[in-house]
Amino acid sequence: MPRSAGTAAALIVVLALLLSLPFVGGDYYLYLFALVFTNIILSASLRPSLTCGQLNIGHSAFMCIGAYTSALLAKNLGVPFEVSLLCGAVLAAAVGLAIGYPSLRLRGVYFAMVTVAFVEAVRLIASIWVPLTRGNAGLSGVPKPTLLGTTLATRTSQYYLALFLMLVVLLVLYKLEHSRLGLIWKSIGMVDTLAQSLGVNVANYTLLAFSLGCFFAGVAGAFYAHFIRFLFPPEFGFLLATNILIYNFVGGRGHFAGPIVGAAFLSLLSEPFRGSPYETIFFSIVMLATILFLPGGLIMLPGKLAGLWRSASGTYAPSGHA
Amino acid sequence: MPLLDTRNLTKHFGGLAAVSHVGLTVDEGEIVGLIGPNGAGKTTCFNLLSGFLRPTAGTIVFGGEDITGLRPHRIVGRGLVRTFQLTTLFQDMTALENVLLGMHLHSRRGLPQVLFSRRRFPPDEVARCREVLEFTGLGSHADRLARNLPHGHQRVLGIAMALAARPRFLLLDEPVTGMNLEESGRVMALVKTIRDRGTTILLVEHNMRAVMGTCERIVVLNFGQKLAEGTPAEVSTNPQVIEAYLGAGVERA
Repeated sequence: MPRSAGTAAALIVVLALLLSLPFVGGDYYLYLFALVFTNIILSASLRPSLTCGQLNIGHSAFMCIGAYTSALLAKNLGVPFEVSLLCGAVLAAAVGLAIGYPSLRLRGVYFAMVTVAFVEAVRLIASIWVPLTRGNAGLSGVPKPTLLGTTLATRTSQYYLALFLMLVVLLVLYKLEHSRLGLIWKSIGMVDTLAQSLGVNVANYTLLAFSLGCFFAGVAGAFYAHFIRFLFPPEFGFLLATNILIYNFVGGRGHFAGPIVGAAFLSLLSEPFRGSPYETIFFSIVMLATILFLPGGLIMLPGKLAGLWRSASGTYAPSGHA
Repeated sequence: MPLLDTRNLTKHFGGLAAVSHVGLTVDEGEIVGLIGPNGAGKTTCFNLLSGFLRPTAGTIVFGGEDITGLRPHRIVGRGLVRTFQLTTLFQDMTALENVLLGMHLHSRRGLPQVLFSRRRFPPDEVARCREVLEFTGLGSHADRLARNLPHGHQRVLGIAMALAARPRFLLLDEPVTGMNLEESGRVMALVKTIRDRGTTILLVEHNMRAVMGTCERIVVLNFGQKLAEGTPAEVSTNPQVIEAYLGAGVERA
């Protein structure tokens, strides 16, 4: 795919803005954006599995596993953040493998139901296993993130950590999507029988996409745990899992930028309602509006507006980018 | 020893015997046609040979090894590759990407190269895929989306993808159905060239002119059983075969 100079310039501007945010905005904005970055990691890491045609409505379960693993290792055993984050991510991926291996043979709605059951199961375990997780009283006093022995005590340093994590995750996911692996995932999502007939081991590649997503959800969870420093099982339930899915659909599934745009747009716009019942209503309305008016998602908006502009001005100019 | 040898191949769907006791042998370098009225079990046979269905009974021996019940991607790994009826393609990918997927099994590229290389695909793989497109006459369409190709080209692209997998044995499911005389002539010439380059071919086709003109040997199926076998001339004058085709038509009319 040819990357136009325009896209590159836009990326540099966005990156410069994000890097300079601590010099402009207060702690509240740093806090808000660090959470947006977490949501972007969650949203983008669901994409490979969606590309394979598997509807995963339980992604927040793997965030939960990453969060509790990292928090408990750091709090109870004094494991440094870098290590506990990695442990959380690896455990999330391992559980993903264990769940995915038997259930990814199911397709469509059957697989979706397994993931729904799983996210509820994980939430219940976190609520019930009181001696370890403190249950619904919540796990408090999670240590702040550290880096090479230094505690990242300020919001600014934590903000940069979140930005760094997000950029690394996105870069890896981007490279994978634009490699043979990404092409194989796409082929499985389009016609899995044809992919098989070309020698693709569909089960293994789908499992890889799924557990890779779980790994990065674990990363997001681990960062979240040390950033918010308080874990509460109901936060990782079905609602968050559907939100992650909605990020993908509202942003658009046709392009790598879709889940990123969707997560950023919805997290920022729903900020006034966060934690209130209106949040769900807001998400539902945006989701419905997208399906009705913009089936390709928000990333189709520029193209659509350009089309309207051309037809309104009555001139035809072929668009420069597809 | 034949390249492909099925013994007693049988597939039941509930009470229906879609394929029963079929013995099919194909020697290396042959072009064999598999024909029969609708519902005779041709496609089921293909699905059994390519591993998409597991036979109820019987064995499939390919290249001297038993491949019965192997999963599809394993069978492709042995060099037995199939195409699909109609236009089963990755419609939203370019012709080149479709063929690149066909090369899947022959790619040697590890994770470090994926993460740290600037190129999406190694140049030698892309070059080989362009060669395959060139060979099948799609060279100038490499960067068009599969969905935007004319019907005839889409069908040929299906064959090109299978070729990229470097088959020893190619199963073609209705390669020229829905094509005009000129197009089908070109595709059948392509099929002959593929054979001359060393790939054995078994094809299912309803276009009798194409089958009779290309295949050296023809196997006729009817109601899941082998009805006749022989050269095109033998088969087309076989009274049983004529009855199977015309009789079925009269019954349904």
